[in-house]
Amino acid sequence: MNSLFRKHWIGIFFALTALLVAVACGGESAAPPETAEPADEPTATPAPAAAEQEAEPADDEGAVSTNKFVQLFVDPPTLDPHVTTDATSARIIVEVFGGLVTIDPDLNIVPDLAEGWDVSQDGRIYTFHLRPDAVFHDGKPVTAHDVQWSLERATNPLTESPVVDQYLGDIVGVKEKLAGDSLSITGVRFIDEHTIEITIDEAKSYFLAKLTYPTGFVLDKENVEDNPRNWFREPNGTGPFRLAEYRVGELLRLEGNENFHLGAPKLEEVEFILSGGTQLLMYENDEIHVAGVSLADLDRFSDPSSEFYPDLRTAPASFSVNYIGLNVNEPPLDDVKVRQALNYAIDKQEIASIVLGDLVEPADGILPPNFPGYDENVSGYEFDPVLAKQLLQESKYGDDLDNIPPITITTPGSFGANVSLDMEVVLQMWERNLGITAEFQQTEFATFLKDLHKGRFQMFDIGWIADYPDPENFLDILFHSESTNNHTHYSNPEVDDLLMQARVETDTEARYALYNQAEQKILDDAPWVPLWFDGESKLLVKPNVHDYLLPPLIIPRLRYVYLTEE
Amino acid sequence: MAPYILRRLLWLPVILLIVSFVTFVLGRYGPGDPVQVMMGTKYNPEAAERIRDRLGLNDPIIVQYGRYLRNVVRGDFGESFKYRGRTVAELLGAKMWVSAQLNAGALILSVGLGVPIGLFAASRQGTLLDPLAVSLTLFGQSVPVFLTAPGLLLIFALYLDVLPTHGWNGFFHPAIILPAVTMGVPGVAIIARLTRSSTLEVLGQDYVRTARAKGLPELVVQHRHILRNALIPVVTYLGLSLSGLLTTSFVVERYFGLPGVGNLLIESFFARDYPVIVGALLIVTAVFILANLLVDLLYGVMDPRIRVGQGNVS
Repeated sequence: MNSLFRKHWIGIFFALTALLVAVACGGESAAPPETAEPADEPTATPAPAAAEQEAEPADDEGAVSTNKFVQLFVDPPTLDPHVTTDATSARIIVEVFGGLVTIDPDLNIVPDLAEGWDVSQDGRIYTFHLRPDAVFHDGKPVTAHDVQWSLERATNPLTESPVVDQYLGDIVGVKEKLAGDSLSITGVRFIDEHTIEITIDEAKSYFLAKLTYPTGFVLDKENVEDNPRNWFREPNGTGPFRLAEYRVGELLRLEGNENFHLGAPKLEEVEFILSGGTQLLMYENDEIHVAGVSLADLDRFSDPSSEFYPDLRTAPASFSVNYIGLNVNEPPLDDVKVRQALNYAIDKQEIASIVLGDLVEPADGILPPNFPGYDENVSGYEFDPVLAKQLLQESKYGDDLDNIPPITITTPGSFGANVSLDMEVVLQMWERNLGITAEFQQTEFATFLKDLHKGRFQMFDIGWIADYPDPENFLDILFHSESTNNHTHYSNPEVDDLLMQARVETDTEARYALYNQAEQKILDDAPWVPLWFDGESKLLVKPNVHDYLLPPLIIPRLRYVYLTEE
Repeated sequence: MAPYILRRLLWLPVILLIVSFVTFVLGRYGPGDPVQVMMGTKYNPEAAERIRDRLGLNDPIIVQYGRYLRNVVRGDFGESFKYRGRTVAELLGAKMWVSAQLNAGALILSVGLGVPIGLFAASRQGTLLDPLAVSLTLFGQSVPVFLTAPGLLLIFALYLDVLPTHGWNGFFHPAIILPAVTMGVPGVAIIARLTRSSTLEVLGQDYVRTARAKGLPELVVQHRHILRNALIPVVTYLGLSLSGLLTTSFVVERYFGLPGVGNLLIESFFARDYPVIVGALLIVTAVFILANLLVDLLYGVMDPRIRVGQGNVS
């Protein structure tokens, strides 16, 4: 800020102070106004003048200390693991709490509070052996009672968990309990202090993967019951960090749990700044250790002569797919040839590289690359405008293409968001290659969801992000004819059959093979136009930060981080 | 005086009742469902139904409203649907403090610039400086917020790089400057013009001539006789402008990423977070009414002729 600017401000505020004083002193019996000096009025406006003095942020205060890892974050909607549904909350929760199993940096399901488990012959009964040395943050040992109580709490209708059906619904008796037909889960059995048995309805090998989600986490009964409404402000978890301080909208501070059973974290403290700020500015100012880099700023940092070029890291893509859903009951999308034609008519490569600046990967199939069960032999549709046109002509609407039923595509958008460029390009490609004019309709997100779940859309643009590393999380949930998340009304008995077989197949290879078959059939039936997978992202990490892992899923990762002297 | 205040205060609950009823009913009859937003694309109809039941969203609307009123009377505004386990009061408290500071900053700027410019223009009446000063502020008033905000950002944050683009670090941090200026600029023009015209009017009054004629020092004349009377319309405007500032602060808070009530409300609209929406609107309404009352009382302090309830209005 230059001095001219500063002088002006001071001048303005001085004038203002004088004015306010004059007004304030203007009562009937007030002292003669000329005696009122600005300095005599302490409450008038000392603020702006002081603002000027503090205009330059004090650098040393914000400086990054050696044992404390600092990052900018936003207020988590909740810290109660059992009700959490969002990524922001989950990122903090996985560091403070834990469950029977967790995910390691290589995305394997590994022991957490359970040191091991046996699975019965029929694949339905899981016997978990708890780690004898596992303790809550307050030092109390974690027992099978705690595990049982936690599962009961998560599935208690009073807990109001929106995701419990998905994550724990496979356990025998959970559905009955959620429906209010029973008071406890019949499928959870306390064996002894360190052993608990969980029975699931079918031999679903992805059950363990679901247990890594916070809904299945273990809480301390006393902690929760002492203060049922606000316990999670001072939670007694089992995770690698304990919540040391939480001031809503300001700051969240974690302290390393030196007793953590999988190895004490190397960091003493982690600070999440919640009060906002300009991330890159704070990074350059040494106030935070990591900062995301948006496309707009990427040029600046990817220049090798930039001071921060050496700090630039690449984070792998998150497991997600963006697609256009086609309602298979709605004309003209009720003809598979029309749906295939819509697929063939789009040049995804062009969209990915030209429209979206190569930040995404064109989607050939449904499962994202590197996801468990991903098979590159499963293939979707290459760009082929000739074949597209031909298929459209062969369809039942082919005789009279001028009178093809109108198509409306709905996209979610809030606060006057623009229709994204990639969608505009898709529409253009359809028009150019097929002569089909689709119409856009943009609705606000809550309204969009309502219509989506009612299956009202003819065509919609949306994405899906993986919750746990198993193909079931994409294929079964989105394409099984009875799944509540099947928004396209797609129904193919063969696919249903394959998906049900895959649910209970215990051999991983064979399971993935079943999923690959199902995926291929789904792609052939074309209830979707897959568009792109999320691409890698860039971020800056201070050179003294080590082992800051960048997994594609939310896993406890801060305990690996360590800092060295700069 | 006291009966007047009392009468005004008695209206408060009536107005709040109407506001709460309208917002409550509009929210629930509008499209969208908080439980669906909570679940996003991962929807489970059974779970949704269960939660709706628990939140009481399946009850007849009049029952829901009755329950809400009963709790509000007890001082309980309920819990947010979006921020699970957070009370509306707690959520609002922190955000209102931010908005209040931002609004104060904007008001200080409007008055601090507007009044001197108005006085200056009045004192230069008949010269070119008068229309120049007025048209300059008029320009500021005419430019809409959604143009001022990016314009200021472009100049001060990007080209000159002297101010942050967004964020909130309290009243004393320079991050407040751009949003406060964006909000305050339209007010500068109005206040400057009001000050100018009322000063000119006062200047021509007999009592000013009398004051001068009896030989009072010029400073006393200016402060006591001119300024005090000239500022009455300005105070009126300040009361009215509170509503304007508040609506502007929706856009500005969103634009500059400030954690204020405006931003919270927008977020809550999108999440269909009914308790927060109704609670925030109730509190904002109450603040309004009280601010207007305060302004009415201020007239009395400034101009004895307007003083209420003393029966000597001439």
